This record gives sequence, C-alpha cells and structure tokens, in this order.
Amino acid sequence: MSYFILLPIVFPVLSGIFLLVRGEMKSRKNLLAVTGGLLVITALLAVLALAFGRGEMLLLFDLTQTLPVLFKIDDMGMVFAVVAVLVFVCAGFFSFEYMKHEAHERRYYGFYLIVFGILMALCFAGNLVTFYLFFEILTLSSMTLVLHSGSKEAVMAGLKYLFYSLCGAYMVLFGFYFLSHYANTLSFSEGSVLNPDLTAGHTGLLCAAAFAMILGFSVKAGMFPMHAWLTAAHPAAPAPASAVLSAVIVKAGVLGIIRVVYYLFGASFLRDGWVQRVWMVLALVTIFMGSLLAYREPVLKKRLAYSTVSQVSYILYGLAVMDGDALAGGVLHVICHSLVKAVLFLCAGALIYRTGKTRVDELRGVGKEMPCLMWCYTIAALGLIGIPPTGGFISKWYLAAGSLSSGIPGFSWIGPAVLLVSALLTAGYLLPIAICGFLPGDDFDYGKLVKKEPGGLMLAPILLLTVLSVLIGLFPNAVLDFIRQFSAGIL
Amino acid sequence: MKESMMLMVILLPVAAGILVPLLPFKKRKHMEIFLETMVVLNSLLVWGVLLEFPEEAFTLTKFTGNLTISFKVDGMSMVFAGLISALWPFATLYAFEYMAKEEREKTFFAFYTMTYGVTLGIALAGNMLTMYFFYELLTLVTVPLVMHTLSREAILASRKYLYYSLGGAAFAFISLIFITIYGTTTDFIFGGVLDPEKIGGRTNALLLVYVMAFVGFGVKAAICPFNSWLPQAGVAPTPVTALLHAVAVVKSGAFAILRLTFFSFGTEFLKGTWAQSVVMALTMFTIVYGCSRAVKETHLKRRLAYSTISNLSYILFGATLMTPLGMAGALSHMVFHAVMKIASFFCAGAVIHQTDRQYVHELNGLGYKMPCVFGIFTLSSLGLMGVPGLAGFISKWNLASAAVESGNPLACGGIACLLVSALLTAIYMLTIVVRAFFPGKDFDDSGVCGIKDPSWKMLLPLFVFSIFIVVFGLYSAPFVKFFQDVANGLH
Amino acid sequence: MDFVQNFPFFSIMLSMFSGTVCSVLPRKAAKWVNTIVISVVSVLSLILLVYLIGKKESYVYMMGHFPAPWGNEIRAGVLEAGMALFFCVIMLLSMLGGRKKLHDEVVESKHNMYYILVNLLLSSLLALVYTNDLFTAYVFVEINTIAACGLIMIRQNGRTIEAAVRYMIMSLLGSGLLLLGICMLYDLTGHLLMSNIRESVHMIMEDGTYRVPLLVTITLISVGLAIKSALFPFHGWLPDAYGYSTVSSAAILSSLVSKGYIFLLIKIIYRVLGFDVFGMSHIIDVLFAFGLMGMVFGSLNAIEENDIRRMIAFSSVAQIGYIYMGIGMGTQAGMTASVFHILSHAATKSLLFIAAIGLTDVSGGSRHFIDLTGAAYRNKWAGVTFTVGSLSMVGVPMFSGFISKLLFAQAAVQNHVKMLPALIVLAVSTVLNAIYFMKTVIRIYTPAQEDKYESITFKDMKSYVLALVCFIILNVILGISSQPIVDLIEQGLSMFA
Repeated sequence: MSYFILLPIVFPVLSGIFLLVRGEMKSRKNLLAVTGGLLVITALLAVLALAFGRGEMLLLFDLTQTLPVLFKIDDMGMVFAVVAVLVFVCAGFFSFEYMKHEAHERRYYGFYLIVFGILMALCFAGNLVTFYLFFEILTLSSMTLVLHSGSKEAVMAGLKYLFYSLCGAYMVLFGFYFLSHYANTLSFSEGSVLNPDLTAGHTGLLCAAAFAMILGFSVKAGMFPMHAWLTAAHPAAPAPASAVLSAVIVKAGVLGIIRVVYYLFGASFLRDGWVQRVWMVLALVTIFMGSLLAYREPVLKKRLAYSTVSQVSYILYGLAVMDGDALAGGVLHVICHSLVKAVLFLCAGALIYRTGKTRVDELRGVGKEMPCLMWCYTIAALGLIGIPPTGGFISKWYLAAGSLSSGIPGFSWIGPAVLLVSALLTAGYLLPIAICGFLPGDDFDYGKLVKKEPGGLMLAPILLLTVLSVLIGLFPNAVLDFIRQFSAGIL
Repeated sequence: MKESMMLMVILLPVAAGILVPLLPFKKRKHMEIFLETMVVLNSLLVWGVLLEFPEEAFTLTKFTGNLTISFKVDGMSMVFAGLISALWPFATLYAFEYMAKEEREKTFFAFYTMTYGVTLGIALAGNMLTMYFFYELLTLVTVPLVMHTLSREAILASRKYLYYSLGGAAFAFISLIFITIYGTTTDFIFGGVLDPEKIGGRTNALLLVYVMAFVGFGVKAAICPFNSWLPQAGVAPTPVTALLHAVAVVKSGAFAILRLTFFSFGTEFLKGTWAQSVVMALTMFTIVYGCSRAVKETHLKRRLAYSTISNLSYILFGATLMTPLGMAGALSHMVFHAVMKIASFFCAGAVIHQTDRQYVHELNGLGYKMPCVFGIFTLSSLGLMGVPGLAGFISKWNLASAAVESGNPLACGGIACLLVSALLTAIYMLTIVVRAFFPGKDFDDSGVCGIKDPSWKMLLPLFVFSIFIVVFGLYSAPFVKFFQDVANGLH
Repeated sequence: MDFVQNFPFFSIMLSMFSGTVCSVLPRKAAKWVNTIVISVVSVLSLILLVYLIGKKESYVYMMGHFPAPWGNEIRAGVLEAGMALFFCVIMLLSMLGGRKKLHDEVVESKHNMYYILVNLLLSSLLALVYTNDLFTAYVFVEINTIAACGLIMIRQNGRTIEAAVRYMIMSLLGSGLLLLGICMLYDLTGHLLMSNIRESVHMIMEDGTYRVPLLVTITLISVGLAIKSALFPFHGWLPDAYGYSTVSSAAILSSLVSKGYIFLLIKIIYRVLGFDVFGMSHIIDVLFAFGLMGMVFGSLNAIEENDIRRMIAFSSVAQIGYIYMGIGMGTQAGMTASVFHILSHAATKSLLFIAAIGLTDVSGGSRHFIDLTGAAYRNKWAGVTFTVGSLSMVGVPMFSGFISKLLFAQAAVQNHVKMLPALIVLAVSTVLNAIYFMKTVIRIYTPAQEDKYESITFKDMKSYVLALVCFIILNVILGISSQPIVDLIEQGLSMFA
C-alpha cells in the first residue's frame, strides 16, 4: 500500500499540533532546534514521497458513498509540491532569526507546520472533494499566520482574508454541486470527466458552474475583482509568512483552477466559450491593474503584494489561453514566481528586521549597508521583470508565444501587449529600490552608513532561492521538457 | 405489548416530571440522580422500542369520527425519536450544573423532563391528530421553561412564543381538517393520503391549505416572517435554548412539515405546483435572512438563535424539494444540525455560567482561559459552516445535490442561498472564535484571570457532541443510507 | 303511555312550584330545596334521555285534554332531554361553585329571592326546551327574561342595576321582535303548535305566496333571538351583565340563558320553519356574517379588557359568534357543531367564571390583571381550573373546545362558498383567543413581587373545589369521548325533522 504518501501530510500536521498543545519549551533554542528538525524531516519525507510515489494512488476512506478522500501524486502536483517544499524550508529557516522580535513564536511555528502539511495534501489531492477539503483547512490554518501579530490591523486583515477565501470556496462548492451530478467521477483525470449523456442540453448550466469554480479558486490567486484581501493580508503577516503566502499559498488557487479546467471539465469543453473569454479579460485586467497599483504603492511589502496580484494573473492568463506553450509558460511561471517572490519578501523582511524601515522612500543607500541582500533583491527583481537570463524571461516568453500562436481573435496580440506593459511597470516599481539602494545620489550622507548585513541564518535561505531562480533561467530545458511532456497530455 | 411500550416511553418522562416537585428530595443530588436515571432509562426504552420496530400502530383512544390518538414507529419517527433520546440525557446532565445557580429548579426540571415525553409523542405520532395534539402540548409545557427567570423580558418572550405557536397551530389545524375530509385516512402513509376522487376540482383550495399549514407548522420552525419569537425566547436558561430551541421544539416544527409534505399531502400532489414555489421561496428567504440577522446581532445566544432560524430553513428547503433525496437531505440536516447547534449553545451556556458574559464583544481572550469550551465552539462553528470532514458538510452536500438533482430552477437559487448563508455563518461564528483566541496586542489579561473551564458535567456533553460532529462528518455513509431509505419509504 | 313520558311535565312543574315554596321557607331550607330540585330534575332528565335513546323516536305529550291543533303540547326527543340534563348539571355546578360568593355579595334577606329566581329560571328553560307550542315558548321567554334580570340585579349596586336595566331593555326589544314574528306566523298559518305551523309553511312555500311576509317573519324571529342571545352586534348589554352580577348568576346567564334562546332558535329553524326554508332565506348568510364578525370583534374587545370578568364576558360574545357561524353554514354538520358548541361553551364558560372568582377573591377582590399576578399560587385549584378552561377555549386537544373547533372546521369544508372565510376566521379567532387567555394564564402564574394577599387552603373551599373538579371532568369528558355525544346530537337533530 502507498500509505507513505500520507507521511509528508500527517507528519507536519501532527508535529504542528504537538507544538501547539505542549507547554512552553525551556528556551528559545530548544524550540528552534525542534522546529528545524521537524521542518527538515518533513522536507525529507516529501522528497521521499515525490521520488517514490509518482503515480501512486491512495484511497483513504469515503466521506459519503460518492465522496471518497483520495490522494494521488501526479506530475502537476509534483511541480507544486517541489516549489512548496523549497519555499517552506527556506522561509522556515529565515524565520528563526526574524521571529525574534515577534511574540507567540511557538504558536507561529505550530501553525506554520500545519499549513505546510495541508499544502502538501493539496498538492497530492486526487479528487475534487479532497482538494476542497484541504482548501478550506488551508484557509483556516493560514489565517492564523496573518493574524499572528494580533494588532487590530492584522486581525482585520486576517478576517478579510478568511471571508474572501471562504467566499471563493463557496463559489467552488456551488460549481461542485452541479459538477458532481453531471460527472462520471470527481477524480482528477486527464481530459474531461463530464458524462456526455447527462450534460446534453445543460451546457449553459455547466459553463456557469465552471465559471463559478474558476472565479472561486481565483479568489485565492488574487484575481480581479476578488483581490482586495491579498494586499491587506500579505503585508500584515510576519515577513516569512508573507513569503509563504505570496509564493505558494496563492498558488493553491492556481492549482485549483488547473485541476478544474484541465482535469475535470477539460480544456476542450471550455475552449472558445464565454467562460474562457471572460476569464482572459479578468486576468489581463488584473495583470495591468496589479502592476499599476504596485507602481503607486509607497509601502514595500504592500508593493510586493500588488506585484503578486499582477504576477499570479500572468499564470492565470497562461492557463486561460489553453494552448500548449502558454500552459507550459504558466506552469513554469509558477515555479519562477514562487522562488522570486519568496526572495523579494524575505529581503523585505530582512530590511524591516534590520532597519525598521517599511517605506520605499526610506531605503536610500541600503545597498551600501547590506550589499549581499540587495544583490539578491536586484537579481530577483530582474527575474520578476523577465530579463534574460532569469527564469522569468523564459516563462514570459512562452506565455507570449502561446498567446500569439493560439489564434484567439484579438486576445492573441492584446495579451502579449499587456504582458509587456506590465513588465515595464514591474521594472518601474522594483528597480528604483535597487537603484536608490546602491546609488543614493550625491547629496547622500555616506558617513551615517553602518554595516547591517543580516546574519547567516537569514541570508542563506535568500541566497539559496536566488541561486535557484537564476539556475532555472540558465538551464530551463530540463524543467520545461518535463512540463511540456505532461501538459501535452491534459490539453 | 411491544406496541404499548410506545405509550410507556411518552408517559414515563411526563410522570417523572410531575413527581419531581412532589417527591421530598433531601438533597439536590438525590433529585439529580432520580432525574438522570429516569431520563437514561427512558432513552434506553426508546432505543429498545425503535430497534424492536413494532409494525402495528397502537391506538389509545378514539376522538370523534375516524380521529384517533395512535402511535406508530416508522423511519421518520426513528430518526427523530433516536435523535431526541440520544441528546436528552446529556442535556439533562448539563442542566444540573447550569441550573445550580438558578432558582426554582424543581419546577424547571419538572417541565424539562415532561418535554421529553411530549417530544417523543410527536416523534411517535401515528396520525395527524396525534401529532397535532402533542404539538400543542409541547408549546404548553415549554412555556414555563421560557418564562423561568420571571423577568419582564422572559414573560414577554414566553407570551410571544405562546401566541406564535398556538397561532401557527391554528392554521395547521385547517390542514388536519382537510386531510380528514379529502384523505383516505389521517394516518401517516408515505406518499400521501389524499384521495384524487374526492379532490375533484378543488386542487387550488388544497394547495392553499398546504401553504397555510406549512407556514403554521413553520412558526415553530421559525420560518420568516414568524421567526421573531425564537431569538426572544433566548432569555430562557441555556439548557432550554440549547435543547428545545435548537433541537426539540424547532425540529418538531420541521418534523411536522416533513410529515405534512411527504406523508399527508404527498409529493405527487404538490410537486411542480405554485404552492411548492411559494414555500420554497419562503425557506430560501429565511435562510439568508436568518444569517444576516445573526451577523448583526451582538448578543451571543441571540446570534445563535438567528443561526438556528437559518439552519432550520435548510431542513425546510430540503422538504420543499419534494424529492426523496431532498427529504434525505432534510433528515440529515435535522440530525447533524441538532448536534452542532446544541454543542455551540452549550458552549455559550458554559461561558455564561462561568463568566456571566453574554455579549460577543465581552469574549475577548477567553479562548485561552477556557480552551475546551472554545475549542469545541470552534469545531461546531466549522461544522455549521460546512467544512468538509465535519457533519455540516455532509448534510449541506446532501441538500445541495438533491437540489441539483431535482432540476427545479428555483432550487438552483436555493443552492446559492445555502452558500451565501455558509459564508455569513463563517462571518458570525468565526469572528467569535478569532476574538476569543486573538484578543489583540494590547489586551489586558487581568479582566479574565480566574476564569476556567466548567466541571465535567458540562464538559462531558460537549465532548460527546464534538465527537459526534466529527464522526458524522467522516463516517456518515450508514446514516445517510438510512435517511435515504426512509426517504424512499423503505422503513 | 309510559310513565316516563310524564317527566318533562313533572320537571317544569316541580321547578316552578318549588320556586314558589322557597319564598316561605327559611334560608337554609330554601337552599336545600333548590339543590334537591335541580338534582331531581337532572335525574328525571337522565332517565328520560335513556328512555328516549332506547325508543329511538320522540314523542308528543298533550297538556290538558285538547288535542292538536287547539291544545298545548310538550315534545321530547333525545336532544331535548339531553339539553335539559346538561342545563341542570351546569346550573347545579354553578350554584355549588358560586354559593360562598353569593353569601358574601348578596344581603341575607335576598337569599330566598335568589333561589326563587333560579328555580323560575330553570323552569322557564325547561319549558323552552320541551315546548311544542310557540306561544308557550314566548311566555317562558318572558319569564326567563324576568328571572335573569333578577339574577343580575340581586347583587345590589349601581353597576348591576344599570346592567339589569340595559339587559331588560335589550331583552324586551328582542322579545318584542320575537312576539311580532310569532304573531305574523300565526297570521300566515293560523297555528301556534310547531308541527302544524311547519305543515302550513310548507304549503305556503309550495304555493309561492306570502314569500315576503315569511321572510320578514324569519328575520324578526332570528333577530329577536339574536339580540337575546347577544350575537354581535347586539351584544352591548352583555359585558356589564356578566361582568358585575354575582358569579353564579354570571355563570348561569352565560352558559344557560343565552344558550336557551339559541336552542329555541334551532328548534324554530327545524320544527317551525323547516331547515330548507330557513336555508333558502338569506337571513342565514347574515347570521353567518354576524357570527364571523362576532368571533373576531368579541375577541378583540376581550384583548383590550383589563378586567378578568369582563374579558370572559367578551369571550362569550366570540363564542356565541362561533355558534351562529355554525348555524349560518346551513348544513347538518354545521348545526351539529353548533349544538355541540352550546354544550362545550356552556361547560367551559361557567367553569371560567367560577374559577375567575376564586382568583379574584385571593387578590383582594380586585379583578384587574395587575392584582391577579400570582393568583394561581394563592388559589391553586382555581389556577389549574382556569388554565384548563383557557386551554379548552384555545382549542387544545383533550378538552371540549378542540372538538367544537374540529366539528366547525369539518362542517366548513363541506360548504364550498363559506369554507374559506369560515376557516380563516376560525384560525384567526383561535390566535386571538390564545392571546387573551394565555396572557391571563401567564399572569396568574407569575409570582407576585410582594405577598400582599393571603393564600386560601383546600379546607376553606371544599364545595368550591368540588364544583371545579366536576367542571374539569365534564370538560374532559366532552373532549375525549365526544363521539357518543355527537351521535346523540345527530340523532336528536334528525328527530327534530
């Protein structure tokens, strides 16, 4: 039996609960040691599961006669799982230093591990019920990360996050109810699960259901018009938590949409319908709007959050095109954006931790104070803009190419144009920080500068992620081939 | 012999209740032991009767014409009687602890125990008249419970409750007459008893009577616009609000409507008529209305009462679908909601008992002081929201899939109402949870010191209910199967 | 001829002469004579009832030696005997329950007078029930009015005298109309004996002549009796008369006197005019409409009332509305329901009056709700009884009120036109009943803040409690085993025809 799939899910959840319920540890050191150990073990278990579990299936039990809880490791899930493990481990180690200045550390780590486990479950979910189940739990458990600081702002942001996400989840549920009636099975399978006998004459209804589900999952992915929670919640959380939220948890929404569109309804059912068109419009609006708002935002973490809104919609746009290249580009962008955005948020966290400065205009000259950090920031920013040789370039290239080759009237060229404009805006909102950081100008008082480079525990995860993002840009083929290979099957 | 046991289980609690004020108990403890023994004994008897499953009806007396007082066990009564008898012993246990602070306990327990018998009378009623009789009695024996505190508020509330209930029964009474005239019998027979020959051209009159009776019985099930008695009746001691106004009384309204729809008028006659649309629209409106009011309400128990209003209409919505699946959904929500709501009410009661705090804004920071109570409250909140893996999800799933299956366009709107209500449920329940566990940074701890979880008498029922919530959520198949059999007329 | 057949005559004579005898007896003896006579009459009626049930048909008893159509006649059927029995029982219980109060409220010299009036009232009621002669009926209607007036007035204070005058005026108006009606009937048919009139009326109907005069006659008789039995909107005299007279008077007036008139009306409908003739006239619709209005407005008035006695009195208006609604339905079932409601209302209303007096007595004699707070704890028996009466009024199963409601509703369903208004008003009036009766019940069971008033114990009110218990039993019997009674009523009504 393939029960070992459950290990990377159950282990972190149990260990998180263990951390939550047991009393205070003797010292902070013990807590960090235990947490670090647990994180590493979880990562190892995940790697183990990914290495040996490819294609494995596990039917855990039946919720009702028609709703089994099913786990399955398929290629798409693997991509997301790998990213999640990387970001979680790195951000986890980063927080050992960062969380020093926050209270209730034990609670933070407990929920952090639980979220980790739930996210793995989400990646491994084999059918819609399981996915939905963990999607809801993910919302509930990750809310605690947003709430963590307990300030009024954070609590409001946490509740906003909760209600938006639940609203999305219920839209998904709405579609789910209909889908379950018209589908042969709810297991994710390549192509469509719809039962042609039943669907005849109900196409309109099912399109509405599909649209509700896409819209529902897109709440988590921060697509317009349900993006408002993201820019409130991500900045309110502690920096490593925002890194996780922005880099991987929003991707849960993306994964949900992939599952619905490519594994349940099937691309052929939705292609060229009104659902696809509306979806593309929304994605493009979000791309442009997110960048524009980020450009105008003075607070660094908020700016990064808007950037997430925009960048995740790149992925959604790629998915909406329903073309081989665009899909590959989208999935690749999942990886690139996760790595890059994690770096950016961690950098922002390190900046706040070391200097206490949160606004962009306060950051003049920080490049001189902490050069290593700012170099990482700059490289990541380049990646997000899409300048070769970073991963972002590759993924955006494929997105644009896919859009052009799809031949959808109008969109095939409007899409790339919007992507380009947004890239320019991205450069506009990310690079000035680097420029001002390294080149503060003539009137800057160099005398005040002190070396503030963060410690190794903070820097190492950032460096690791930066290197990875560059590597992906330099050697994209291995990953890309893998993606193209399995995405061909689901189109 | 087996048949007369049905009468026995009704009379035993009534007799025990009458005995309470008459017997000279030396200590409070003796009364507790006496009552608990009686209640547990009766529950065992009920289960005995249900499992023995007497086929025959037991006729007690003949009123006039073909109207008799008779009892019969069928699937529906098994569900309701089983539910009642499972919950009552725990609720009684809880009441011992809760009522220790209140005055005039003996009167309270007398009526509290009598209500048990009367509710069983509704469950086991074999025809309309018997049900009507016990329905009226139920109103009368519960009024003293509502006015228990004898404050002005309580008296106004009990008056309102009385007028509403008796008034509703007066309209329901009309349907009883019509069934005697236009039906072949007044007994409950699955599929309805109307005689098409007798109806002739008076279909519309009968439909009108159905709507009147639906609303009449619906008064007890707090259907809008006749719901205002329920939040007001929240002035009663919590065991009453929990058991009666979340389970026994209000569910007997829903039970009566199910009987009326499926066993007297029959779905064949009602389905597709204007009457169905009217009552369905009414339930849909109530679902949303109850939730919205709950969000606005700041008094904890009243908030839960509004939540009950909304959830009761879930059950009624299932009934108005008028399909076997709809009825199965209604039955499952009847049982599952009972467990979840009684748990959340008991939590509210525990808070009131331990701290005398009644308003939501007073609950800040109590989560860490009363971890068990608030843990279970969180669980029941999640259950009410319909998080998968807990009981609420299953019943909502059944209701919604029944709505999809029914193919009624209005029912699709009903699904939307269910989901909107789920979102609102999240809002009004989880804000409490967040308050309790995340009181905010500058929260002053001194206000809550010395507060702790209540004793085992209160916690035991809570734990049992929370186990039920999880068990129903994870392992519902046999229950749902049973409900479906009942709804298909197999039992 | 069986000896039993003399019983109606004996009953009437016995009660009438015992009344006369009472005037010369000492007070105590008068009391006993009164009680014994009522008991004897009940026993006689019971025997007659059993006899008639066995015989399965009614009989006519000739008074004096003149045969019809000249002589005077008595007619007895199941319904008549049953009604007589029932009236006696209620009267007995009302006297029993109200005796103590009577002694307190009425000056001692008037006690004998009271018993005389009661006996007279009984004899006139019996005569109304048994007579087969319209003019005899009229005579006893007048006797009845006078006796009733005396009963109201005997507790001498301003209120009762005013009430009695009002009652007298309205009542005489009613009797006047009735007399006019009877005269016109005599003009039209030339008869006074009921059976003979009916034959003539049938002939008139077949001829098609005298349609309008006949309609006028029906109107006069109906309205006359409606005024006397306080049908809405002719109920103005009622609240004061019931509200301020001594309690046994109120109980007797509400449950017997007005019911006697209604019974007379039913008798006239069946025995004089014929059910069909009456049904064809539109008077029946008017009665129906008035009945419905009475059900609603009587209850609304009762809700506004702050005085428990007056509240119960207004409730009577509503209940009489029920009865007229049943008559107005124009079906056999409706009539059965009405007759049953005569019984059930009589049983319940007298119970309520008697229970209410127990409650007001322990509240310093005040009848206002504010003072009644917690009265049920001070007088437990009265509290329980009042609750039973209220539940019966609201129509909770197991009590008599439910059965009448059931019968009314079933009757309503059979009439396609009048069904909807009847059912809806029935439901609405139930709600209204619930409002004012349950308000009172909750009030009397709300413990008082301070112990202003003394409680009363069982020892001090043995006869009162006995009366209450009997009332409750009567009510429950009507509620549970109603089937034989309904059968009897149907049998009796068919004997009328």
